[in-house]
Amino acid sequence: MRPDSPRAMRTHSRHSNVARFAALSLLLAAGIALGAEPKEWLERMNKALTTRNYVGVFTHVRGTRAETLRIIHRVRGRDVSERLLSLDGSGREFVRQGDELTCYLPDKRTVLVERRAPDGPLLGALPAIDEGNSLVYEIRGGERQRLLGRTTRVVALHPRDEFRYGYRLWIDEETSMPLKTQLCDKSGAVIEQILFSSIDLPERIPDSMFKPLVDASGYTWLRAERRVASTNASPALWEAMRLPPGFRMTTRSTQAMPGSNEPVAHLVFTDGVASVSVFVEPRKPDSKPTEGPTRVGSSSAFSTVVDDHQVTAIGEVPPNTVQFIATQVKATSKAPANQSMSIAPPRRNK
Amino acid sequence: MNDERPEVRQESRQVERDSQLSAMFDGELASAECELLARRLVRDEALRGQWSRYALIGAALRGERGVKLHDKVAHRVQAALSQEPTYGDASTSDVAANSTRSNSAANASLGDRWMRFARPVVGASVAAGVAAMSILWLRTQGPDVHVLASTPVTESIVLQAEPGDTPTDTLIAQAVPQPEPAPVSNGEPERYSTPAPSSQTSIAPPARFATYVVAHSEYSGPLARRMALLGIVGTEAQADELAEADAAAAAAAPGTVAPGTVPPNTVPANTARGAVDNAP
Repeated sequence: MRPDSPRAMRTHSRHSNVARFAALSLLLAAGIALGAEPKEWLERMNKALTTRNYVGVFTHVRGTRAETLRIIHRVRGRDVSERLLSLDGSGREFVRQGDELTCYLPDKRTVLVERRAPDGPLLGALPAIDEGNSLVYEIRGGERQRLLGRTTRVVALHPRDEFRYGYRLWIDEETSMPLKTQLCDKSGAVIEQILFSSIDLPERIPDSMFKPLVDASGYTWLRAERRVASTNASPALWEAMRLPPGFRMTTRSTQAMPGSNEPVAHLVFTDGVASVSVFVEPRKPDSKPTEGPTRVGSSSAFSTVVDDHQVTAIGEVPPNTVQFIATQVKATSKAPANQSMSIAPPRRNK
Repeated sequence: MNDERPEVRQESRQVERDSQLSAMFDGELASAECELLARRLVRDEALRGQWSRYALIGAALRGERGVKLHDKVAHRVQAALSQEPTYGDASTSDVAANSTRSNSAANASLGDRWMRFARPVVGASVAAGVAAMSILWLRTQGPDVHVLASTPVTESIVLQAEPGDTPTDTLIAQAVPQPEPAPVSNGEPERYSTPAPSSQTSIAPPARFATYVVAHSEYSGPLARRMALLGIVGTEAQADELAEADAAAAAAAPGTVAPGTVPPNTVPANTARGAVDNAP
């Protein structure tokens, strides 16, 4: 019997403990890295979507309906141009050039022209996925999957409650463009999806590609005036008294709307991913109020009347969320503090 | 062994035929095999249906405005799309399952297979594809094929194809210098009707909602913005659904009018806020 053998064994076992600990640490580190990765893919995707030039054709599937659309997106310095057009029948188009947004609705023989709010966010400045919204969303995935002959990363942004929708994304590994996007509800059921059949990332996109196909010369053009006419407004300020978990107000402005010369109060609420806009405008004395829920594609809207004002909440969230927010909107008498942009809509005496 | 089950063999034969079909469509199938498959297409109605569906899906997905699907075929394409297995799946765990499944060609989902046809057509294969289609047209007089031949599908494929464009590099930035012409107008006429600043300046609710969506989209993230704008630009998804929503909303709250439901040149009785958007 060798005198040092127990000691040797102990040393050995200590070494193996160290080795095990090191292995465990490595695994943990790898786990953390994997955990961070899906979030990183989301950030890359947001960056790609807002900073790259792309021309793509995609199919939009909702229920059993499918429609093919084309998107053209160009970034030149601070100048972002975008065109979205339906290739199936209606000929509807949306064109953004500079600070002007134009929506061609040939089926209604109408063109809406809107100007982006001068203090509006730049398209690149988007809320990042941070700790705040990790309370309301869970980010999962990051694994590789083949799609369209490309290697993609599948990332799921899963809502933790029923006040918001989730996304499942197939993000191209090389370009970070989402080749397939699914909008899902809390239970994971797919509400609608976008599936790209081709995406090109050209260096340059000529202006001619932003020219609409539709000849809109005979249409009614509804244009928002650049400046909101100064009205004899009393300083009412609109606020939501309570908000669904995770939502906070990010913007409060007064906006001109195409076809209206009354200023419209516009409040924006976001949970970091989804956003809800609330529009408040004085009700026309001779009009019936608009009340109740409406759907516009995947967006939900809810209208109500508060203090003789028409209040409409709209956002790409479940119907309950817009209803919650719309019914919490109240006018406060408090004058706007350091919000020079805020012009309250005029209050009418009954 | 599972592999020995007749239905599995049947399925793998089907898959093999599908991949032949796809190769023929891409112009990658040897001419002798092309001939065989063309003959088979004449006999096999299911396969023929698939061919025309694939061809049309490909054309539609690549499509410009030149491509217009025959109503009947469009419905069939939609039906095929709605049968795409991944559309129904819900849990994220399926994603992993799908990824392992997609490794095996035999189990490739219908979606994977039809997306193969959605790729831009390879330059060299265009002629072959068109040729194959004309073979089909000459040899069969089936309704699907007839529709195919009577639509400007082949023309659009030719127009769409770019020599040297391969399926794998469609996503690679192509540094083709393009001359930038002078800025174009947005088609706006020099004179247009602006709503008169009167007491009834509000436009009718349908256009009002579109306005709200556009204004709201400026404050959405890139994905949400796209989804929101699709609600206005996309019309197919609107028609029935919004009519339903409209009816529901009207029942719940008289006076609510959903966008996209007002036919041109008519003013619905419940649009009490004026109807400036309905131009003569």
